Amino acid sequence: MQPAAQTVARGVESIRTSLVPAEGMSTSLVVAAVVVALAGLVLLVIELRRAREAPRMLVVSTGVLAALTLVLAVMRPHKLRAREINVAPRVVVLVDRSRSMALSSTADPEGRPRIDVAQEVVEKLRKGPFGRVDVFALGATSGVREHAGGGTPLSRADGAASDVASAIRALGDRHDDPPAAIIVVSDGRIEVGDVAERKIGPTLHAVAVGEASPPDAAIRAVRFAGTAVAHQALPLQIEVACTGGLPCGDLTVTVRELRERDPEGKPSSDVLVTGTATIKDGSALIELPVTLERAGTRALEISVGAPKGDAIPENDRRLLSIDVARERVRVLHIAGRPTYDVRALRTWLKSDAAIDVVSFFILRTPGDEVNAPDDELALIPFPVRELFTEHLHTFDAVLFQDFDAEPYGLTPHLPAIAQYVKKGGGLVHVGGPNAFSAGGYAASPLASVTPVEMPRLESSQQAADSLAFVPNATAVAKGAPILAELESILGDELPEFQGTSLLGDVRGGGIALWTHPKRTTATGRPMPVLAIGDVGDGRSIALGLDSTRVLAFSQFAAKSGGRAYDALWRGLLGWLMRDPRYEPVRGRLVHASGTGPCLAGAPAALRVEASPVVGAARLRASIGPLEAPRAKDGESLPKELDEKIDGAPPILVPLAKETITGVAPDGGFALRMSIGEPDDQTLVPAALATRALSTCERGGDEWADPRPDRGKLETIAKVNGGVVVSPGDLGSIPAPKAAVVSIERNLAPILPGWAWAAIAAVALGVHWFVRRRGGLA
Amino acid sequence: MADRRAFLASAGGIAAAALLARRARAFGEDGAFEPKVLLAGGVSGPARASAPARWSAEVEKRTSSPARRQPRALKATDPALLDGPFAYWSGTGGLTALSAAEIAGLRQFVSLGGLLVVDDADPDSGQFGRDARRELARVLPDAAPVPIPQEHVVYRTFYLLKPARPWGRRLGKPTADAIIRAGQLRVIFLEHDLGGALARNALGTWEMSVEPDGDVQRERAIRWAVNLALYALTTNYKDDAVHAPFLLKRRATAP
Repeated sequence: MQPAAQTVARGVESIRTSLVPAEGMSTSLVVAAVVVALAGLVLLVIELRRAREAPRMLVVSTGVLAALTLVLAVMRPHKLRAREINVAPRVVVLVDRSRSMALSSTADPEGRPRIDVAQEVVEKLRKGPFGRVDVFALGATSGVREHAGGGTPLSRADGAASDVASAIRALGDRHDDPPAAIIVVSDGRIEVGDVAERKIGPTLHAVAVGEASPPDAAIRAVRFAGTAVAHQALPLQIEVACTGGLPCGDLTVTVRELRERDPEGKPSSDVLVTGTATIKDGSALIELPVTLERAGTRALEISVGAPKGDAIPENDRRLLSIDVARERVRVLHIAGRPTYDVRALRTWLKSDAAIDVVSFFILRTPGDEVNAPDDELALIPFPVRELFTEHLHTFDAVLFQDFDAEPYGLTPHLPAIAQYVKKGGGLVHVGGPNAFSAGGYAASPLASVTPVEMPRLESSQQAADSLAFVPNATAVAKGAPILAELESILGDELPEFQGTSLLGDVRGGGIALWTHPKRTTATGRPMPVLAIGDVGDGRSIALGLDSTRVLAFSQFAAKSGGRAYDALWRGLLGWLMRDPRYEPVRGRLVHASGTGPCLAGAPAALRVEASPVVGAARLRASIGPLEAPRAKDGESLPKELDEKIDGAPPILVPLAKETITGVAPDGGFALRMSIGEPDDQTLVPAALATRALSTCERGGDEWADPRPDRGKLETIAKVNGGVVVSPGDLGSIPAPKAAVVSIERNLAPILPGWAWAAIAAVALGVHWFVRRRGGLA
Repeated sequence: MADRRAFLASAGGIAAAALLARRARAFGEDGAFEPKVLLAGGVSGPARASAPARWSAEVEKRTSSPARRQPRALKATDPALLDGPFAYWSGTGGLTALSAAEIAGLRQFVSLGGLLVVDDADPDSGQFGRDARRELARVLPDAAPVPIPQEHVVYRTFYLLKPARPWGRRLGKPTADAIIRAGQLRVIFLEHDLGGALARNALGTWEMSVEPDGDVQRERAIRWAVNLALYALTTNYKDDAVHAPFLLKRRATAP
């Protein structure tokens, strides 16, 4: 912003002299005096028409003189001498700094970037005939920001979108001196809003940057109607286009789900669907149905196999963060034997209309003497193969309750179940005499997706502790959303449970919520009896107890009417299914300005949108790529964050560190966040980790259609009384009229006030004398 | 969903593992089926003393469910009545009016989701059954007993009872009544002396003859008792859609 004195000095100075009423005289008073004088004259004319003998000319002239002096006595005229300056009009230049401006301005892929051409236009406008020129950047999602000239094209064209309407409104908010004209320097790939419908104030001109675009195939748009619901096909409408003369025929379109890397660090993804787009007249629209099996935020990659000659490979794929809702939670409940605990869990699962439960209980073992042929039994075979090879993916969560893997043929399917969890499924392992180590899971693939170690037992060792105990809630469990409802009912009191399966230490980032008051693990830590953990894209719960039913039906339960059981399991299943109510923290990667989505090649920030702590807190986060890195020079995000934050969400946490640029690479990222007390994370009431997915695109919507859009600029210029010119024709932009500013003002009376009154009195006296002599009253 | 091959494969695994069968008793016993004997309205014990233990034994012998070999006898006012959601109230004669504390205890038992089986051991007089209905009407004044339909899941929780009806020492009427809440049986009124069909002495001799069909009827009564236990343990599990094709097929092939 330039200082006012400097800009004023660039105007042309002049002196103006005029007569004005006395200072402080109201206009209405002057008008009233004139009206009274005119009325008197009218009455005088009427009077003279009746009195034919009176000296008319003399009476009229003295009457007019008396009226005039009376008016002057009221006005008491002053002489004004003003020194004025013609100030050059203020012109605001809005330079589009959105990502499309990083593209070539010509059909040559190696042509000058549009942002460079725009910079040249700005320099010319500064030196041109417009006098005062203020330059702002247009290219945040909303509003304006300061224009910066240095850096690579990608670093300068770092806005995720360009909204002209909000930018013009923001100009009005931040400057007292409204511009006489606005000049938008852009390729036309902008959001215009109501600027294209009505005049918004000052004249709006545009400089159209970019003549053409390089040969290119692109995913132009991805649309879907309604809400994505787990297990239900969602039709994606995908628009593919070829521009710049690129010859395209049939192009293959692929939709993949990007998932978090598996524990070995290998990127993980699944092709959901592929299709062929046949390009006609430069574009094609195909519909591909995708079925996402897991609720929560999911990352999709939609890509097109571009032909040779494609100049912008970055827009051959789009990354989509999609929130998948869950109409009903589909749960597979498998119990090794019927007990009252099984009854309690099934009753609860069936009581919730939002849960679709499929149960399989082992009601009979080979040793049981049923004393009846099969056709007199209401028993069905346990369809272990079908369940775990064909139908497993259709379930949101699997609950194993006191289930022995070996006798029922589950062991061969444990790798598939582990993979299911890593890909986003939920797993609950409930204790009992045949659960965990006793069920043959200790050295199995299922152990890798369980949040606790399972002790390997020698033949003489017990797999369970049968003594009753009251668990201890850990520090992190207190106030954690997953147990908050239970805590609100029971307070700090937990019932006595009858024994537990023996479990080891928490593993793989797992968190113990309840521990045994006496038993310890092999490492000497309190033995967990309830632990939770993220595993790849999925979540897992280990519950060593087989008597949580005492929260539903017992003397203890009677105190709360059995509501505590509902609270416990709703919390556990809600957390398992990533229900936002049970997530302590919510956050995502955004543009560092905080106003737009994360853009590869631009500074990024972590936006914390929900936190269990309001005020000073400690944020810990990890950021991991979902796929092999596609980073360019200078692009790096921190893998770990440990920050002090303060205030209420939303909170913007910049990602630039000493050796980390904080500039996002292209791709999808898994975020894991926890927020706790500033100084001691272990004392935090709700320091449970939350996982989220976020994506950063190199071009995003801005590169979906790389062609300059002069027509859009012409529309807004026409509506707002301006013109559109090319960079080489800036002289065609009409300069706005100068503004006049008074810088010195000298006011002096022509006569003193009493003199005007005396003159008026004399004039009235003369008039009265003439009237009397003429025979008038 | 399942095919025969899968079942056989599964069964093979089961057979091998059966040798390693490990039914822990201490840990896990807590959730085991227990036909607790309800002492209320002047009843001082089960009408057939050995019946509750036999009931447990049959459940444990015939199913995978654990069961308490020595079921307890508990007063309606005893907090331990809430140790498990199943209670058995049997008798032969008239009942005294339940005290306010007994009413409160039973009301709490049922409102938390408990299942009470009322077994009239003298169906010929029906005195116990009538009095039990009268007293339970004071416990649950807003609910009246209704006949359990033949299609109800309680007739197929483990055995496919053919015909689908209650069984006991006496053949009695072909239906049983129940108080139903939230779709679940809460109180079942039996008028067939189920305990009489189950009662067996320490030497393994059945204590009472079963009429009119003798051992066949006794076996049906035992199956009915097992089904009641499995209903207490799994509720409406056998109503799940996944079971429907199998059970329909078996019913269709039934003689």
